[in-house]
Amino acid sequence: MRNRRTRLLAAPLLALVALLALAGPAAASGESVGSCMAEKLGELIEESHGDMEHVVHELHADASIGDHFEKECIEAPSPILPELNEIIWGGSAFLILFVLMVKKGFPAVKGAMDARAERIRGDLDAAEQARTDAQAVQADYEARLADAKSEASRLIDEARASADQVKADLMVRHEAEITDLRTRAAADIESSRAQAIADLRAEVAGIALGAAERVVQSSLDAEVQGRLIDAYIDEVAGDNG
Amino acid sequence: MVDPRVTGYADALFAVAAAEGDLATIEDELYRFAQALRSDDDLGSTLADATVPASRRQQIVEDLLGGNASAITTALVSMVVGAGRSAELPAIVDALVERSAASRNKAVATVRSAVDLTADQRDRLAAAINTRTGRAVEIKVVIDSTVLGGVVTEIGDDIIDGSVRRRLNQLRESFR
Repeated sequence: MRNRRTRLLAAPLLALVALLALAGPAAASGESVGSCMAEKLGELIEESHGDMEHVVHELHADASIGDHFEKECIEAPSPILPELNEIIWGGSAFLILFVLMVKKGFPAVKGAMDARAERIRGDLDAAEQARTDAQAVQADYEARLADAKSEASRLIDEARASADQVKADLMVRHEAEITDLRTRAAADIESSRAQAIADLRAEVAGIALGAAERVVQSSLDAEVQGRLIDAYIDEVAGDNG
Repeated sequence: MVDPRVTGYADALFAVAAAEGDLATIEDELYRFAQALRSDDDLGSTLADATVPASRRQQIVEDLLGGNASAITTALVSMVVGAGRSAELPAIVDALVERSAASRNKAVATVRSAVDLTADQRDRLAAAINTRTGRAVEIKVVIDSTVLGGVVTEIGDDIIDGSVRRRLNQLRESFR
């Protein structure tokens, strides 16, 4: 990355250095106002055969000479067609710069662009992969959620069915218990009634037998006892036959 | 199965009574005392009380039988009580009676009645039982007021119940 950036900066710096280096010779070609004025002044000195005082005198005496020099030297160049040397220097610089750009700058820029495009493509791929993974996770989560809902629904159904079964069993058991209780209660009532009747009969019998026993005891005198014993003896003897 | 100790005492009493030559009287007196002991719980518990000195228990026996039984009978009962076997005395006497009857080739018929039987009644009853069962028996009468009237005869495991009590009980059952 650092080398690529260095190459990108080197290309315009080389172009600027070349421009400045080539601009110097272009300015010193005599095409400037000063050189023009110096050239005109040289010609004037030659005409005066080297007499500098004469030249200075004429320049002071005749101001039009200076104006003439300025008019010739300061005359504006063509606004459309540059000077030849400028064309040469400018074209050379352009060619050099173009070649440098083609050889160095463009590959560097292209490499940087390719790298950037590759990085962006990689980022896009990663984002796509992340999106795919996220979708997979979401799908898995939704599947699990659906399973959980299904399981919860199943559990609720089972619990409800179990509760219904328990309720039915309890109802059946309670019905059976109620029936059993009724049966037992009826049996108890019948038993109690029978026992009460039996007790009453036993009580009545006891009273009656107690009275009979007292009557029998009072009537069992010695004579009766003797007859009973005699009757018993006769009975024992008679049973043989 | 009879306790060998009971039969041992019974044999001893039988031998003594037979040696004295008055087996029937001694046997009858012993039988009556055994019945009294069966019916009187206080007397039985007192004579069987080990905390009471043997001499004191023997004195009670002598006081009870002194004027009512022969000296041999009193001595025999006193000996059994002094030996601490008063609780077994009824069983000993029963074994003695059976042994005595067996010596005469007879069985014992225990007759329970509210009143005593006359000698004629005893003879007729023995004859009736002999006629009925084919066994010669000796009658032993036990006075039992709960019989009310009539007679209950026991010969071994056989019972011939002709008591008024049985008839009342039958009447009681018929009410149920």
